[in-house]
Parts: sequence; structure tokens; C-alpha cells
Amino acid sequence: MPRSLSNNLLRQFVPVLVLIALCIAFALINPNFLSVKNFARIGILAAPTLLVAIGVTFVIIMGSIDLSMEGVVAFCAMVFAKVFVAYGGFHGWGWTALILAVIVGATVGLVGGIAQVWLKIPSFMSSLSMGYIGLGATFVLSEGYRISVEDPIFRSLLTQRVFQMPYMVYFAMIALLFALFIERFSVLGRNIFAVGGGEEQARASGLNIARIRALAFAIAGLFYGLGALLSVARVGIADETNGSNMMFTSITAVVVGGTSLGGGHGGVLNTLVGTLIVAVIGNGMVVIGLPSYIQSGVLGAIVIVAVALSTNRKTIRFIK
Amino acid sequence: MPFIRSFIERETLRRRDFLLAGAYGLGGLAASSVLPTKAIAAEEMAVAWSYRDRSNPYWNSIAAGAENFTTDTLGRKKEALTHLINEGSNAKSLADIKSFVAKTSGKCAIGCDPNDSPNCRPVVEAVKGGNGYITTIWNKTDDLHPWDIGDNWVAHIGWSGLEPAENTATLLCKAMGGKGGVVGLGGIAANIPAIERKQGMVNALKKFPDVKLLDYQAADWDTTKANAIMSSYITTYGDQITGVFCANDTMAFGAIEALRAEGLAGKVPVTAYDCASQTLEYLKKGELLATVDQNPYWGGGVSLALAYYAATGKFKPSDEPKAHREFYGPTILITKDDADAFKKKYVDSMPKYDWSDFWGPSNGQIQYNRY
Repeated sequence: MPRSLSNNLLRQFVPVLVLIALCIAFALINPNFLSVKNFARIGILAAPTLLVAIGVTFVIIMGSIDLSMEGVVAFCAMVFAKVFVAYGGFHGWGWTALILAVIVGATVGLVGGIAQVWLKIPSFMSSLSMGYIGLGATFVLSEGYRISVEDPIFRSLLTQRVFQMPYMVYFAMIALLFALFIERFSVLGRNIFAVGGGEEQARASGLNIARIRALAFAIAGLFYGLGALLSVARVGIADETNGSNMMFTSITAVVVGGTSLGGGHGGVLNTLVGTLIVAVIGNGMVVIGLPSYIQSGVLGAIVIVAVALSTNRKTIRFIK
Repeated sequence: MPFIRSFIERETLRRRDFLLAGAYGLGGLAASSVLPTKAIAAEEMAVAWSYRDRSNPYWNSIAAGAENFTTDTLGRKKEALTHLINEGSNAKSLADIKSFVAKTSGKCAIGCDPNDSPNCRPVVEAVKGGNGYITTIWNKTDDLHPWDIGDNWVAHIGWSGLEPAENTATLLCKAMGGKGGVVGLGGIAANIPAIERKQGMVNALKKFPDVKLLDYQAADWDTTKANAIMSSYITTYGDQITGVFCANDTMAFGAIEALRAEGLAGKVPVTAYDCASQTLEYLKKGELLATVDQNPYWGGGVSLALAYYAATGKFKPSDEPKAHREFYGPTILITKDDADAFKKKYVDSMPKYDWSDFWGPSNGQIQYNRY
């Protein structure tokens, strides 16, 4: 096999190799890391982040970036919690709040996408602003208070387990399969890759770029809504901090997984590996007893190494 | 010939533009004078409270107390109180206060948490430079005192975390049967309350030699972060964990949820601090062992009252003894048995405070170098 082809093949698997290497390294220092219970805990930590990262993957593959996740997740979580509690949880009509949260997320994403396309502003700014608007809307809805969601059926996402993995992990897996379907087997997915690979060529081929862009942001919003549901399930509370720190972790997860920020390459499976890497690092650092004040530094260092290993420097002509 | 014509044309256009611009300008001035202006009336002293964010119920109570002072004692609308939210940024805190002092030309009374100790000096000096009046709470460096800065820095209120945290940690160790392992979740490392509460726990552990401190990490007062760290603790230490010490309630909620995921909520004692609004429910369910209430409602109101009455000249700070310018606020330890009585007195109804009784509930002068 010619060297460049085998290199490419190897490069595609680098994120998985990094993940395995990290697991082995942490397990050598503290064997407790390799227990099924710990994997369940990593799963709980990773599940909401995975869904948000999947949402952002679609936008990044298209060549844009979406920084609105913190605000949108907080807003969806607050809407969900308020409606769920107001309508009596699973005993009454509260379960409709689950669908409502997803619809709200998709709508906010769509609005952001339309704003970006119509006003022709860079996606960086439009999404960041939508995020802040979402955060502000959360404050208005919550009036500064936090809503606790205690319905046992909803919390069973966290508390009930099958094969020692909580329901929320399976929920995330099903959402991942759905995202994979969109990416591989739907026209929209193909078009998103086309726009990311070369917008001018895509436009020349007759694609409606504006519609594709707006829909990609809407899909991202949809997954943010799903992520918000899991975030509320995990801590049982909805407030402005449900989305906290998700911007860094989700975009890091996407990039570490091998998706190029320039667009056109990557996919949701890459994001799955990236999310697991970030969650494993976060969990592993505490498990091996690393002092808390150097954890941020170590996280940054590992992320740089992971991204450097998985970036194909030959095909990307300039690094922005 | 053509030159003269183009010259005249040009000058005519220029003169026309000038006349039009002048008309617009005058029209604009006239219009703006018709709009109602929000000028601060000469007699009205502006009031503001500068704090971190609204996602922590502690700050909501502070704001509620300050609003009560504004509406009940000053007789103004609730919106007359300006909220300066700094979201944990020293720079924003300082900038907001500076612009507030400038906007009110110094006719202002401010209650403020400077966000962390090094930020206290720039904030009080900025207020002094603008001739405003400020009362701070929580964060200041040990070498800085209100009497060094002058009347503009009216007072500083602290709540000693040392003794109450020692009490909660003692309760925790007793609930653990005097032996086992404790894990700790601390606040933002540079915050004085985080440092004091950790020290209180350490002091209590000295009395129980069979209890081991397995780990103590900063979860930055955040529920989600505490949840993640607690999960990882459970992996690292597993069954060795028989007690959890949290430096505040919001982190305890995260820790309890991590325990709930393992089916351990209510089985492992957890102590907290702050008495947030949902804490009483957790106490009654038995998932939380104890917490400490610092009466933030009183704190928010009295700090604003101190600044206001000093600003309006009702008393002169430099005539007051040092114990009136740097003092501790009151704390109440709450366990499951006290929860109902506390709820009736402080949650279902708010006691009526005499906001001009500044030093009645005080716990004494602030002390340094205690550890």
C-alpha cells in the first residue's frame, strides 16, 4: 500500500488510539479506572456533552462554527423544567415538555441560522450573540431561581440501569444513531458535506446554500435541546448553569475527534471518540489524584497533542 | 467662466448642506428636550448592589434584602435599586461600579461583594475617588481596613466561616461514627469563604483522628462541576468515602446527585453551607445533614443601609469604633430537626428588620491570623 494511503488510514484511527492510550495510562496509575462502574460514570458525564457536540459537528462540517450552545442548552432546560413541572410531570401532560424542549432548541437554532444567512454576518458572531440572547431569556424565565425536577420517571434516566449503564447513555446512543443517519443517508447530510468541502462549487452545482445553512443550524439546535434534557436529568436542576463549560468541551471534542474546523471532513463518529477522550481526561485526572490546580494545564496539553496528531497537515494548506 | 460657475455651484451646495445640517441639529435638540429625561433628582441618592450572578440563591436573597430596604425604608420602587452583576469578573465589577459612580456624580450608596480579595482595594478607591459611599462584604485583603480609606468605605461585613464550618464538620464526623474517609468540595480557591470553611473542616478533623481526609478539590461553587468531581471521587475512593463536606449548598446538590446515580443518596452524610432555598427539602429528606444560614437577606439590606445612611450624613463612619466598621454577621446552624422552625420563621415569611439597627445582630469584630 502506498505510504500516503496507509498514513491516511492510520490518521483516521489516531483519535481511537489516543483514547485507548489514555485509558491504559490512567488504568496503570489507578486500576479502579477500568471498572464498569467508572465507565458508567464517564458515560453520565459524557452523554449531555456528546449530544451538544453532535449538534456542533454538523455546523463545523459545513464550515461554520456555532458558539450558542451554552445559552440554547440553558434556555431549553429552563423551558423544559417549567413546562414539565407545571403540567404535573409524567402523571399529567408534563411529558410533552420533552418534545417541546427539542422543538424550542431547533427553532432557536433555525432563527440563528436565518439571521446568519440573511444578515450575512460571520457565524462566529451570530451564534455567540444567539447564545447570549438564550442566556438572557433563561434569566427572564427563571427570575434567578432554579427549578428542580424530581419526577422519578424522568430521573430514571440517571437512576435506572441496564447492564450497569444508566438509561441516559442509551438515550445518547439512540440520538447518535439518528445523527449518523442524517449524516450518511440523508440528502441534507450530503449537502452539508458539499457546502463544507467547497461552497463555491456547491453553489455552482445548484445547491440552495442559504437553506442548507439554516437547516444545519436548526439540526444543531435540535441536538442542543436533547443535550439540555440529559443535562437536567443528570443534576435534577434547571438553571442558567446547565450549559456551563459546554462550549469548550463540545468544540474540543469535535476537533480532538478529527473533524477539521475548516469543514468538509469528519463526522459524528469522530465526535463520539472526541467526547469520550475529553470525558476520560476529566474523570481520569481526578481518579489518579492529580492536584486540582494543575488539571486545567494538563487538559490543555493533552488536547493540543491529540489535535496535532489527528490533523492532516499535508492536505490542509493553511491553518487558521 | 466654467471655473466661476463650478465655484458658485460648489459654494451653493456647501451652504445648502450647512443650512440643512444646522436645521437637523436644532430639530434634534428640540426633540430630545421634549423626551422625558432620566435625570437623577438632586435630592435622591442612587442605590446599587454589585454581586456575582443570579444563579445562586444566596445572591437572590442579598438582592431581596436590598430591595426591601429600597421599598420599605426609602419608599421607592423596587426598580430604583440598580443591580450590577459582574459574573465573576473583577474587571467588570470595577468597571460597573466606576461607571455607576460617574453616572450619579458620586451621589450614590453601594453595597458590593468585590468578587475576590485583591479586587477590594481598586473598588473602594474608585468609589472614594468619585465621592460615593460603599459597604463591602466577604472579600478583602487582610491588610486593608475601612478606616485606612476613610468615610467613603463605610464598613466591611464578613461572615466567619471558621467556627460554623468546624461545627458542620464535627456533625459530619459524628454522623460517620468518628471514623472513615471524608472527601471535600471547596469553593473558588481565592475566595475567603472557601479558605475559611476548608480550615474549619481541617480544625474539626483534628478532633477525630480516625477520620481521614481522602481528597479536597475546588468545585468553584458550581453544581455541575461538583457533580463531575464527586463522580470521579467515587471511582477513586469507592467505599472508602463515608462522608462528604461541601463548602456550599449548590455544590452539595451536585454531590448528592452524583451519589444518587450510585444509589447512595441519603446513605452517605453530606454537609453544606449557605441555606439555599431548596436546602430545607434536602434536609428533611435526610440527604443533607446540616447547613449554615448566614441571613443574606439581612446582609444585603444592612450593607446598603449602612452606605445610604453614611452618604446622607446620618452618621459619620470615622466616629464609629473599629468593631462597627469591620464586623461579622450572624450565622445559624440548621439540621433536620431545625428545618421546620427555620422555614416558618425565615422562608414562609420574612422577619421585619429595622434597617437602621446596623450592629445589633453583629457577631463581633473581624479577626485575623486565626490559622
